[in-house]
Amino acid sequence: MTTGSNGRGKRLRATGRWLALVASVALVLPWWVIPVPLASFSPLVAACSALATQTVGFIVLLGVPVLALVLLSPRWFCRYACPVGLLLELQGKLRPKAALRWLQWPFICRLLAVLTLGGACMGYPFFIWLDPLAIFSGFFSAWRTPLTVASVCAGLALPAALLVDLLLPKVWCSRLCPLGGLQELLVLGGRRLRQLLRRERPDHEHPARLGRRSFLVACIGAAAGAATRTAQGQTPPLRPPGALDETRFTGVCVRCGSCVRVCPSRILRPDLGEHGLAGLFAPVVRFTEGYCRENCHRCNMVCPSGAITRLSLDEKRRRVIGPALVDLDLCLLANGQECTTCIRACPYEALTIQEIAGGLSVKPLLDLAKCTGCGACELACPTSPRPAIFVLPKPSVLKAS
Amino acid sequence: MNNPMTRRKLFQILSAAGLGPAFASRVVADESEHKTKKIPEIQPIPVENLPRYPAFIRDGKVIQPERPLPVFQETDVLVVGGGAAGWAAAVSAARAGAKTMIVERYGCFGGLWTGGIVLVVISTHATENGQMLQVVRGIGGELLDRHAKFDNAIVNRGETKFNPTTDPEATMFLMDEMIQEAKVKTLFHCWATDVIMDGGAVRGVVFDSKAGRQAILAKAVVDTTGDGDIFAAAGAEHEQRLHAIGLVHRLGNVDRADHAALKKAGYKSLGAIEPQPSVRWVNLRGPSANGLDINELTRLQFEHRNKIWNHVQKMRKTPGGEKLFLLQTAPQIGVRTTRLLAGTHQLTYKESREPRKFPDTIAVGGAQNSKHAGWPIPYGVMLPKKLDGLLTAGRSISMDDKLVEDGRLIGACLTTGHAAGAAAAVAMKDGCRLRDVSIPKLQKLLREQGAYLG
Repeated sequence: MTTGSNGRGKRLRATGRWLALVASVALVLPWWVIPVPLASFSPLVAACSALATQTVGFIVLLGVPVLALVLLSPRWFCRYACPVGLLLELQGKLRPKAALRWLQWPFICRLLAVLTLGGACMGYPFFIWLDPLAIFSGFFSAWRTPLTVASVCAGLALPAALLVDLLLPKVWCSRLCPLGGLQELLVLGGRRLRQLLRRERPDHEHPARLGRRSFLVACIGAAAGAATRTAQGQTPPLRPPGALDETRFTGVCVRCGSCVRVCPSRILRPDLGEHGLAGLFAPVVRFTEGYCRENCHRCNMVCPSGAITRLSLDEKRRRVIGPALVDLDLCLLANGQECTTCIRACPYEALTIQEIAGGLSVKPLLDLAKCTGCGACELACPTSPRPAIFVLPKPSVLKAS
Repeated sequence: MNNPMTRRKLFQILSAAGLGPAFASRVVADESEHKTKKIPEIQPIPVENLPRYPAFIRDGKVIQPERPLPVFQETDVLVVGGGAAGWAAAVSAARAGAKTMIVERYGCFGGLWTGGIVLVVISTHATENGQMLQVVRGIGGELLDRHAKFDNAIVNRGETKFNPTTDPEATMFLMDEMIQEAKVKTLFHCWATDVIMDGGAVRGVVFDSKAGRQAILAKAVVDTTGDGDIFAAAGAEHEQRLHAIGLVHRLGNVDRADHAALKKAGYKSLGAIEPQPSVRWVNLRGPSANGLDINELTRLQFEHRNKIWNHVQKMRKTPGGEKLFLLQTAPQIGVRTTRLLAGTHQLTYKESREPRKFPDTIAVGGAQNSKHAGWPIPYGVMLPKKLDGLLTAGRSISMDDKLVEDGRLIGACLTTGHAAGAAAAVAMKDGCRLRDVSIPKLQKLLREQGAYLG
């Protein structure tokens, strides 16, 4: 508040924001230079990721300094660093001043933050995809994917936020953004703590209400999160290598699209809800254009939320997307043809030829210990309209066996 | 035939006995027959008294004595091996105006395609820019086109179809037709066994036949033996591979079998369709073995034939399969890969899967299913590193293990063979070494002959 009052502070603030915007764009665009995802700097993503995955990794730690600084200066992140905030503010300068009709609105953002954190405790942080850094990142990811309804929707979150701001000036930042809500909760919590330490009576002019209502909302979030986890099912899609188990994955994924953007084979695309609404816009794997390359672990390195585990190349090569399965009725080799396409395509040498019927016939034999489900075989298989060898999602196989 | 009484004598006796008029017309007809067919089926011819050079034993070793070889013929381009590649090379070179000769160990062209009853011409097409196109064009493409003029000569051929299967008799007939049209001097039943060297260059081959051991002199030799017999004999750098060796067979009377009943008994499929009705083609992959080892080849020949016979007998005893019969096992055992030339350019699987055009592209390989892009083949795959006067084509070109699976197929053999023949013809016209052949000229000739170079 004090910095904004004098001219020098204003300039400093403006410079900081521009630098932050440039840094944000830099983090979004050259994925091969800096393998650090933009959204991981969001404390909301970090907190939810830590709660939902119950691990604290490198990515989570990136959000901690932001979190700590909030206690010193309320909403400093919004004012100095947030790229979405800067864009909204720029838009506000171009537009004639309007009355802030929403001032009497409740702080939806705090409820969203509490609900999301509560859900995260049960592995399903509901509104984490509203995180501004995730939205910003998702806008850039949309360009990298083939044009589908899903990719368009994922890319439209940032324009949607701008539109909301155009209709109701400043409402996004102060009333809707869950990251803003989280910061406010922290400030309120800090104030309450100080009051308790100094044995002061609660200040009724600025009530630091954090208690019952928040707790209730958090409980609702947790219960809903647990319900969502059990409500999922039918046929789960293929997820990127090193992804969390399906239910936790759909919750933890912030839909920032970083993995979709960095995938060199373009096998990741946002899901349009074909596999249940829980996974809407989360990445699914399709082997129509490429396969999961054996020399790549970019998606493992860029996931801000830990939905895709951070893995070294060596570890990633041992992670299974799903096991491959051969349909012997379709397989050309098993039907007496001279085809070894999948065997040659397999980068892990998981396929060999096995003699059957006393050597009168042969079929491809899959070594599940070597197969990672990279999809090279599925991509190469010549049979049409569907390939004779294909990668199955993990759980359905578990059911079968 | 030892009976001294011939028909003529009998008629003479009969006519003398007064029955002449009754047989008069018959006698006249017989007279005319004898006028045109004077040579009896069996007659003596003089034994050629040629000098003989038998091997002998000296100091416990079998010694082959030094001897001069009769030169059967001198030619410009000599193609050794009349399989898909060799046949295409010979037709191409002859059409381009080179004096061409081809030597084949069996009595027909086509090699494993016809003699090995492989029949399916895999990877004739590829998909580029979302469109399926035929990559096996030129000489090979013309051969496939000519099948269309006969009924039941080819299936899976047409606008949207790929990988056709041909009738082996039709293919052999058409190959004969095209090679005779091109006026290629052909020797069947001759097995090239050695090479004639002149310094670092090949100057011809030695071949064995019923007419003994003879030589053919040539300015350029195309080794399309499949096994690289000639470049190996000439000492060219090469590699050797084991691969599955199998035997194809054909089932007859398939239309009269109860497919549903056989399926129930565990016979999922009776085989692939062929142009001929009621006949099915059945593959047997076989174990990995050395195709240059005569003991292995013999053992597998025994084993495979036995296995197939017993298999068909078992099917015949199954309800629904009583009328099936084993029409044929392939006359030639299915050796897939043996020697591979170490060429000036070893084409790799990786290069083929990330296709890029080479400056010296002389052919384009197809995709096994037509789904993927074609893979350009550079001239270097058929050119030995040091040896002059020789090219190889077909399944022995310079490629890595994974690419063998594409490079050994009939489609690729037809196109690389075509290119080798054209290259030899260009070298003859320009009087240059095979490795100095002008690539633009070669590509121009190939395009004129209808080849697809991407």
